[in-house]
Amino acid sequence: MNGAELSPWIALPAAALLVLGGLLGLLGALGLLRLSDFYARIHAPTLANTLGAGCVLIASILVSSAIAERPVVHEVLITLCVILSSPVTAMLLMRAAVYRDR
Amino acid sequence: MSLLAIILLPFLGSLCAAFMPANARNVEAWLAGTAALATTVLVASLYGDIQAEGVLRASVPWAPSLGLEFSLRMDGFAWVFALLVAAMGTLVVLYARYYMSPEDPVPRFFSFFLAFMGAMLGVVLSGNLIQLAMFWELTSLASFMLIAYWNHRVDARRGARMALTVTATGGLALLAGMLILGHIAGSYDLDVVLQAGDTIRAHAWYPAALALVVLGALTKSAQFPFHFWLPHAMAAPTPVSAYLHSATMVKAGVFLLARLWPVLAGTEAWFWIVGSAGLLSLVVGAYLALFQRDMKGVLAYSTISHLGLITLLLGMNSPLALVAAVFHIINHATFKASLFMAAGIVDHETGTRDMTRLSGLYRAMPITATLALVAAASMAGVPLLNGFLSKEMFFAETVFIDRPDFQRLGLPMAATLAGMFSVAYSLRFIHCVFFGRPARDLPRAPHEPPGWMLAPSALLVFACLLVGMFPAHTIGPFLAVATQSILGASTPEYSLAIWHGFNLPLMMSLAALAGGIVLYQLLLRRRADTVPLLERLDGKRAFDFVQTALSTGSERLLRILVSRRLQVQLLLIVVFALAAVLLPLTADRAGWTLASPGLPDPAFALLWLVGGACALGTAYKAKRHRLAALVLSGGTGLATCLTFAWFSAPDLALTQLTVEVVTVVLLLLGLRWLPRRNDASAPDIPTSTRLRRWRDRSIALLAGGGLGSLAYIVLTRPAGEGISPFFLEQALPLGGGLNVVNVILVDFRGFDTLGEITVLGIVALTVYALLRRFRPAPESMELTQQQQEHSAPPPDTDAVLPPGPMAVPAVLVRLLMPLALLVSLYFLLRGHNAPGGGFVGGLVLATTVILQYIVGGTVWVESRSRLHPPHWIALGLLAAAAAGCGAWLASLPFLTSLAWHGSLPLVGELHISTVLLFDIGVYMLVVGATVLMLVALAHQSLRAHHRKPARAGEE
Repeated sequence: MNGAELSPWIALPAAALLVLGGLLGLLGALGLLRLSDFYARIHAPTLANTLGAGCVLIASILVSSAIAERPVVHEVLITLCVILSSPVTAMLLMRAAVYRDR
Repeated sequence: MSLLAIILLPFLGSLCAAFMPANARNVEAWLAGTAALATTVLVASLYGDIQAEGVLRASVPWAPSLGLEFSLRMDGFAWVFALLVAAMGTLVVLYARYYMSPEDPVPRFFSFFLAFMGAMLGVVLSGNLIQLAMFWELTSLASFMLIAYWNHRVDARRGARMALTVTATGGLALLAGMLILGHIAGSYDLDVVLQAGDTIRAHAWYPAALALVVLGALTKSAQFPFHFWLPHAMAAPTPVSAYLHSATMVKAGVFLLARLWPVLAGTEAWFWIVGSAGLLSLVVGAYLALFQRDMKGVLAYSTISHLGLITLLLGMNSPLALVAAVFHIINHATFKASLFMAAGIVDHETGTRDMTRLSGLYRAMPITATLALVAAASMAGVPLLNGFLSKEMFFAETVFIDRPDFQRLGLPMAATLAGMFSVAYSLRFIHCVFFGRPARDLPRAPHEPPGWMLAPSALLVFACLLVGMFPAHTIGPFLAVATQSILGASTPEYSLAIWHGFNLPLMMSLAALAGGIVLYQLLLRRRADTVPLLERLDGKRAFDFVQTALSTGSERLLRILVSRRLQVQLLLIVVFALAAVLLPLTADRAGWTLASPGLPDPAFALLWLVGGACALGTAYKAKRHRLAALVLSGGTGLATCLTFAWFSAPDLALTQLTVEVVTVVLLLLGLRWLPRRNDASAPDIPTSTRLRRWRDRSIALLAGGGLGSLAYIVLTRPAGEGISPFFLEQALPLGGGLNVVNVILVDFRGFDTLGEITVLGIVALTVYALLRRFRPAPESMELTQQQQEHSAPPPDTDAVLPPGPMAVPAVLVRLLMPLALLVSLYFLLRGHNAPGGGFVGGLVLATTVILQYIVGGTVWVESRSRLHPPHWIALGLLAAAAAGCGAWLASLPFLTSLAWHGSLPLVGELHISTVLLFDIGVYMLVVGATVLMLVALAHQSLRAHHRKPARAGEE
């Protein structure tokens, strides 16, 4: 079974989520490029991109469950890793910025 | 089997002797004596077999696939020599028990003594040329250790070095000669080589082989012009001189010449090289012996002279001369060892060996004096002693030699002259030490030594007398067996009678005796302390000169050719590599065309664009901003990972990813210790610098571009017929796994992997050890600016969380730990059938551990971790080795994989293989090694931190 045979009930929401995720990623990237100072910029990738990644992961769960014809939730692990690791990075970066501006 | 025991017994004894306490003099002597005596009995018991069968052989397979085996071969000649070595060893051990003082560390002495004995027996009994050369070098090493036994003395150390340099150089030449001989004969087996005499003598390489082998033999036997090491080797304890440097080791050279006599002798080249070296040693050695002050010095030069006699006999190309040579080898060993023992006794009882101080010892030690007198008479060639017999045979050979005119006349005259010298120095040795007025100012009052110390010497002198009076009944049969085994059917008729009537050789003997006495009378009148005529002939000075010239020459060469500057070295390496690649390109340009790449996928092209930009950025930033360069290089690494994944190499991608992470962390930890760059850029750069930069830039571009295009050309060509199809097809049936890469690593190439992880463990421990002594550059020694400003109190290890701003990240990262452990175990367990494996799993776990360190702080993390990286390394190696040894239980070769397939209650169907245990070993070792190295590096800043208060206290 390949993507062409997915039922529209799965394909449509998955496609929508993917588009939304892509838009959020673009938004985060634009924010990183355009915002004025570091403290503003750090929010763009952390917020928008985490959300975007979440959308892509949900889409992935939907599609792979449909293909395997059983619930496939491996992506939860990825979510967990992202939730755990990206705040750490962001916090360390911000500490460094605070130190520099002191 | 007993042949093998003959070699093994001394070595075993040596091993036991080495582990005994330092003061166990009696036990050591008993042990060494028993080993030597047992060897002697074993050798002697083989006499019947030798007589019946001629040659005994024994071999142990060593590397059968290479046609190598440890082979032993004993014929009559080898039997006589082996008996000589073993019996002399027994006697000298008995003597050494009384000679060595209780303060000397005897385990070292007896251990090396027995090791030498084993090595010497190995030389004698080797049935293979290469094996012979190996034992040959072992004897040189043992001799080195024994000469330097009293290593607090400068002369001992210097003499040992000189002996080793000369004999080991000769050994190297010998090995080369053996290789040529084996090449010509088509086999290194002694039997084959001995049969191939005619082929070898007719071969174009014969002169080279002859020169090399003879060089080895002459250095070992201390023959002119390499004789100078032997007198300096007399710094060794006297039992060593008696055993190694008169009776056995120095005989190895003449042994070899006699052994290869049927192969190499019979040509003009042999006569001139071997004969002239022998003649010169005979005359010069005897002459120099006349003027020595040291008793052992006289004996050393006399040994050179007698070995010269044997060499000359061997060089005469006549079977009868060979008989005389073998006979003299035995005779010389008996009387010379006995004389050395006498010299040792005198030294031991009076405290000096200086012949100008010693005098009139006959009254104090009559037995010693009598024994020395008889042995010296034998050395001088007085009738009714064994030395007379072989010397008579030698004289006869010189007279009846079949050579053109001047040699025919010169040789007997030279022989008589040497005989005269020999009589004179023997007379001087005895007369000076034992007769005349009793000496007064000796360091100790002389008296007879204990009876057992005299016994070996007495036995040898008894043998001298017995052989001298009844040669045909005592030594006759043994000599016949020995010579027959060398000469075979062409063994000449010879007579061992004492009286041959009034003939020319007897006249020469009488002339030598009379001339020697006259010479000694003349010598007594002489007062000067120098050697007339040959004072300037000093081998030691030449040796020193060559050594100094070598070291200054190499220093000069180094100064011209070598630069300490890394920039220059790098430049040379790159230019050389460039030239090496360009060379074949200019010769043959066919097939070096660039295939058209075709249009890549746009996403992939974008990926490479980013990766390339990162790489360029790394190079650009590396000079001024190291952190940015590091981050950018990480970006390049990620692009590489994605490329691997893109081209369906998930294994490579995974490995590259984890390695990339660990590398970046490692470099980050190291960055802090790099010296600060001097940023003050000069306003105007001189033209030479500009030119140099352009040169470097163009070379870098050429080399990089060349390497890239080379890789591209190679990769775009059709792959040759390799071994990869075998692995792809056999991974499942033979290795029981679907992941071919992993099956190769842990099964097909398991032994390689075992070696690699061992190396990894060693590297990790070495890095750890080096970092413990790490001294950073002075400018990066201080605490970083941030640490200085936030002079934080030492972290509170009891706190639940690390204090300060890192509390929240610490909680999050601790949550990551079990997750990472799960992932790493998952990779480990599935590795055999899907991408993953012990290496990747280990790196994942190590990364998490180091993450804890980064976020939680070293002190805080270590206060609550029970992780001991060295234990992990050890357990990993043990697990991998156990997996390998497990195959032995099923009597299969090392590292054969065993699998068990079955079902367990609750768990269900299960497939367990030793391969998994092996992979667990890899996993644990990788975790241990990586964590050990990273943590050792991370600890550096902690050490600097600790050091600061101490320094503040000093100020």
